[in-house]
Amino acid sequence: MRAFLTALPFITPSFFGVVAFLIVPVIVLFVLSFENWNLLTPATFTGFNNYINIFRFDGAAHSLTVTLYYVLLNIPLQTVLALGLAVMLNRRLPAMGLYRVLFVAPYLSTPVAMAVIWYWVFDPKLGAINALLAQVGIAGPQWLSSPTLAMPVVALVNIWQYVGYNMLFFLAALQAIPKTLYEAAEIDGAGPFKQFFRISLPLINSTMLFVLVTGVIGSFQVFDTLYVLTQGGPGNSTEVLNLKIYQVAFMDFRLGEAAAMSVLLFGVILAFTIGQFLFFKNRTTYEYSV
Amino acid sequence: MKGFPVTRAGRLAVFYLVLTVIAAVFLVPYLFTLFAAFKPIGKIFSEPAWIPPNSLYLTNFTHDFEDGGFYRYLGNTALVTVVLTLGQVFFSMLAAYAFARLSFPGRDKIFWLYLLTLMVPNAVTIIPLYAIMREAHLLNTYYAIFLPYVFGAPYTIFLMRQFFRNIPQEVIDAARCDGCSEWRILRQIVVPLSRPVIITATLIAFVFGWNNFLWPLIVTNSQSLYVLTIGLANFQSNMNSQWNYSLAASVITLVPMAVVFIVFQKQIIRSISITQIR
Repeated sequence: MRAFLTALPFITPSFFGVVAFLIVPVIVLFVLSFENWNLLTPATFTGFNNYINIFRFDGAAHSLTVTLYYVLLNIPLQTVLALGLAVMLNRRLPAMGLYRVLFVAPYLSTPVAMAVIWYWVFDPKLGAINALLAQVGIAGPQWLSSPTLAMPVVALVNIWQYVGYNMLFFLAALQAIPKTLYEAAEIDGAGPFKQFFRISLPLINSTMLFVLVTGVIGSFQVFDTLYVLTQGGPGNSTEVLNLKIYQVAFMDFRLGEAAAMSVLLFGVILAFTIGQFLFFKNRTTYEYSV
Repeated sequence: MKGFPVTRAGRLAVFYLVLTVIAAVFLVPYLFTLFAAFKPIGKIFSEPAWIPPNSLYLTNFTHDFEDGGFYRYLGNTALVTVVLTLGQVFFSMLAAYAFARLSFPGRDKIFWLYLLTLMVPNAVTIIPLYAIMREAHLLNTYYAIFLPYVFGAPYTIFLMRQFFRNIPQEVIDAARCDGCSEWRILRQIVVPLSRPVIITATLIAFVFGWNNFLWPLIVTNSQSLYVLTIGLANFQSNMNSQWNYSLAASVITLVPMAVVFIVFQKQIIRSISITQIR
């Protein structure tokens, strides 16, 4: 009892926070997803209608597809680039620390501000990119106004923002691999490529899992960049789930449908997270794994 | 053999050239923005982005601060971020200390409950949190902006607990025998030994608070409560092609983060080894 009283003041604030702002919201989310609520009249029970309606009228399937497309554009390229940069910087050469710091800078930069800047950089008439292309005689495309190019541009902007951050994890993992392993491989005649695929890559398995899981979870929730760059357009070509949830809830005031879409997003994120854990669990973990 | 030093030097030169080109991709957007923020609108339209301004033209900034409301937005953002950061770090530290260093009934169950909430994505709680804030009549207040994050964050609690557990038990026991209260042990022994993790937690909370957009966008609707990100996004959509103002506003939003980055760059890099979950 005494032990409990000692701990009480330490635990109470965070316990209140976790219950009131994480656990209760999850319960409220599920309740709301079965209700009709427009903020003006009291909520009424509507069964599974919201779940049916979001697919029939709100294009939830389209938003889900677009979200998956975004994740697919984002994660593989970002992971490969982050790993590539880490391998480049994992050398005992001058100025490596300076480059490392430079590559990480975008991670702290406010995404909304960066999106405003990239909107300008990709502007077909004023932007630096088309101006550069014009210098070499190429008429640049419409970028964000093009239904086919808008999403790749958004993905590039996000890769630019987070690649350096992910590189840091890979770099830390690579630096933790004992040098003796590479020396032994060299004596056995393994070249740099073989060393990378046979030693480095298997030994950074758990870092790879961490980077992929956090990256995928983040990508599924993309909002800020899209809100500024496309608002879901042109047409509905970049209308990802999180943006759609915002529009349905706070522009159409249909909170029930928005809650049902949030449950959908929750389920997809959980499924992908569990899937990645299972995939990596079945691969060998080595003694030196970092 | 004679050619060897040359090829090695050549390979190094190519290596640094590639790195520098990549570094340029990371730096150039900031540089162009800084140029444009100090140019009148006419020049932004008429000359390429890579031309630096030829005079220190400050009108874009004075316009943003005085007519655009950015004094207010900057103040709001600073206030909300500081409160959020102080609360999150302090309350997380208390919880982490209890989980790492105290034994009380139900401790491990409560800790598992906290860990379980790590699986709840931020975006998913937005709708119900809005409903809760509405019920509590807290919509459109400063409180609404920081309240969900101020009582501690499970991720931060987890990081701090790992760190606190590695403090040798003898150090703590010695203090306990001398009749120290748990508060004094935390303040005088644990906190000074845990600077790296406290700095990491502070950075995580500060970056989150400063950059937060979706949540403040939903819970505030009067201009006097707007934070920088909302002011900036509104600017962008209301004043199409007034790039001089919105790029200067981006600079205003980014400069405090740049200061944090330059001051804490070593800690940011080091914090990666702390945040890595094994």
